[in-house]
Amino acid sequence: MLAYIVRRVLQALPVLFLIAVLSFGLMQLAPGGPHQQFQQNPRMTDEMVNRYLARWCLERNPDALGMLRSFGGWFGVWNCDAGGFLSEQGMPNFLPNFLGGGDNGVIHGDFGLSMTVSPNRPVIDLITERIPATAILMLTAFTIWVTLAIILGVIAAVRRYSVFDQSITLMSYIFYSLPTFWLGLMLIYLFAVNLGVLPSSGMLSVRTAPAPFNTPRFWEVFWENPLPLVQDIARHLVLPVITLVAVSVAADTRYVRSAMLDVLGQDYVRTARAKGLPPSRVVFRHAFRNALLPIITNVALALAFLFSGAIVTETIFAWPGMGRLYFEAIQARDYFLVMGVLFVGSLLVVMMNLLADVLYAWADPRIRY
Amino acid sequence: MAVEDSQPTRDRAGAPPAHGQRVAEDLLDTDEDPQQVDREVALQSLNQWQLAWRRFRKHRMAFVGLGILIFLVAVVIVVPIFQPFNFLNIPGSPRPGGEPPRLDRIFGTTYEGRDVFTLVANGGRVSLVVGLMSMVIAGSIGVVVGSIAGFMGGMIDNILMRIVDVFFAIPFLFVILVAARFFGRGDVLSLVLIIGLLSWPLIARLVRASFLSLREADFVDAARAVGVSNMRIAFRHILPNALSPVIVACTLLVANAIVLEAFVSFLGFGIRETEVSWGNALANAQEGIRFGNWWWAFFPGMAIALTVLSINFIGDGLRDALDPRSRD
Repeated sequence: MLAYIVRRVLQALPVLFLIAVLSFGLMQLAPGGPHQQFQQNPRMTDEMVNRYLARWCLERNPDALGMLRSFGGWFGVWNCDAGGFLSEQGMPNFLPNFLGGGDNGVIHGDFGLSMTVSPNRPVIDLITERIPATAILMLTAFTIWVTLAIILGVIAAVRRYSVFDQSITLMSYIFYSLPTFWLGLMLIYLFAVNLGVLPSSGMLSVRTAPAPFNTPRFWEVFWENPLPLVQDIARHLVLPVITLVAVSVAADTRYVRSAMLDVLGQDYVRTARAKGLPPSRVVFRHAFRNALLPIITNVALALAFLFSGAIVTETIFAWPGMGRLYFEAIQARDYFLVMGVLFVGSLLVVMMNLLADVLYAWADPRIRY
Repeated sequence: MAVEDSQPTRDRAGAPPAHGQRVAEDLLDTDEDPQQVDREVALQSLNQWQLAWRRFRKHRMAFVGLGILIFLVAVVIVVPIFQPFNFLNIPGSPRPGGEPPRLDRIFGTTYEGRDVFTLVANGGRVSLVVGLMSMVIAGSIGVVVGSIAGFMGGMIDNILMRIVDVFFAIPFLFVILVAARFFGRGDVLSLVLIIGLLSWPLIARLVRASFLSLREADFVDAARAVGVSNMRIAFRHILPNALSPVIVACTLLVANAIVLEAFVSFLGFGIRETEVSWGNALANAQEGIRFGNWWWAFFPGMAIALTVLSINFIGDGLRDALDPRSRD
C-alpha cells in the first residue's frame, strides 16, 4: 500500500511541475505582464521594484533565457543571488532550506509578494489567511451534499421507477442545468431582499462582529463568547451552501442511484434476499457497502469540482475565502497573487485526485497495486 | 444490406448477413405475402444514421429537448431582426426598479427602461454562437490530438496525455477566468477561442480511449493486411467508429460553453457592455436585485437553464441512439 501511495505521489510530481509552468507562462505571456504593472503602480517605488526583480530574477525585457531564469527563480530551482542552480551554501537550490537549499520560489513556499490587492504582503500569507473561510464553506456544503446525495440516491434506486424516483430524476436534470450564479442571485432575491430573513452577503454582520473573520481581534472575542458569532456565521452560510449543494447533489444523486442499481442486480443480493434477510439489511449491509466503491471515487473528485465552484459562490455572496481572493487578484491584475492561488488551487485538486485513488485502492480488496 | 455503408460496425462479425437471413426465411416460409416481404426488406436497408434517428425519436425527453432548442434558436434568430439591441439607445427615463412584466412587455424592463425580452433574444445570439463555435474548435483539436495519441501510442501518447492530465488537474474555472481577463478583448471571437482552446482535453481523452480499443479490432488488421496506409486506417477506418461518444460529448460541450460564457461575462471578464449576452445581462441585473427587480435576472437565467436542459436531454437521447449495442 505504501509503495502504491509513493508511486502515485511520484506520478503527480510532473503534473505539478507542468502546472507551475502553465501558470507562470500564462502570466508572462499576458499582454502587459508584471513589468507594466510595476511601472504603472504609483505605490511601487523604484527601490521596491528592484527588490522584486532581484529576488525572482525577473528582468525588465527578458529574452528566452531570461524567461527561463525567472521561471527557475519563481519555481525555486534557480538561486537568483548566487546566479545558478546552487544555493549560497553550495547545495542544490531546490533542497529544503535546512538541508542547505535556497529559500526562494514555490517549492520553498515562497510565492512572491502581492502587488496591488495588498501591496508588499507575501502571497502565501494572503492565501493561508483565506483558507479557513473557504474550508468552513466547503466542508459544510460537502457534508450536506454527500449525505443528501447518498440518501436520495439509495431511496431512488430501491424504489426504482416509483413516483419518488422519477421526480428525483427530473429534479436532478433541472438543477444540473441551472447556472450556479443565477441560482445564487435568485436565492438572494427571495430570502434576503423579498423575505428579508437571511443576510445577502458577507460572513459576519457588522453589528455582531468585532473585526473581520480570522483576525487576531476576532479570535480574541470569539474565544470569550463563541455562540453569537457561530450563530451569525451559520446564518450567513445558509444561502451559499444551498447554492453549492443544489447543483452538486443533482449530479451525484443520479450517480449514487446507478451505482446502487448495478449492485442490486447482483447474484449475491438475490441470495441475501432468498435467505430471508430483512430488506433493510440487504440494502445496507450487502448492497450499499459494495456500491460505496464508485461513490468514494466520485466524491473525492467532486470535492475538487466543489473547490472550483467556490469562486462563483464566494464572489456572489462576498464570502472572504480563496475564491474571492482569486477574483480580486484577477481584477486588480496582481500577477504573483494570481499565480499563487492558481498553483495552490491546483495542488489541492491534485491531492484530492490522489486521495480518490488511494481511497479506492484501500476500499476495494480486489485491486492489486 | 443492413450495413451497406462504408463504416464497418463493431458487431458486424457477429451478425449474420441480412441477405442470407432473408433467403433462409424464404426457404422456411414459401407462401408469404409479397408486400410483406417488400416492407421487411425496406426496413432492413436503413443505414446507421437512419437507425440512430429512429432510436432518438423514441427517446421522448430528447425529442422534447430538440423541439425546445429549435424554438429558442428561432426566437434568437428572428426577434433581433425586429427588435435589435442598441447599446446607445436608452428608451424611457431610468427608474431604480425598472417596470415589472406587463402584457406588452412580457419580461419587464431594466432600470434604464430596456425591454428584457429584447435583451434575452439578442443575448441569445452571442451565447449560442459562443456555444457552437467553441464546440467546433474544441471538438476538432480533441479529435486530432486524441487520434494521434491513441493511434501512435508510445512516447507521443505519453507526452500528449500528460498535457491532458494537467488540464484536468487545474481548477478549470480558475484558468478560464485568467485567460479571459488577460487575453480576452471582450468580443465574441476571443471568448470562443479561449473556451475552445481550453476544453478540448475531454474530447481527446474519449477519442484516445476508443482508438486504443479499436486499434486491436479485426477490421483494422484486415485493412492493414490489404496494405492500407496508416493515415487512412486512422481517419477512415477507426475514427468513424470512435465518433459516437465524441458526438455526445460535443453536444454537452455546447451546453458547457454557454454556461462558461455566462459565467465569465457575469464576473465582468467576458463580453463587453456594448454587446449583449445572457451572461452580461445577468451581471448588470445583479444591481437590480436589491431594488426588487427580479425579472431582469430571472429571464436571461431561465434562457440559459432552458437551453442547457434541452441540450442535456438531446445528449442523453443521442447517447442511447448512437450506442451500437442497443439495436432494434
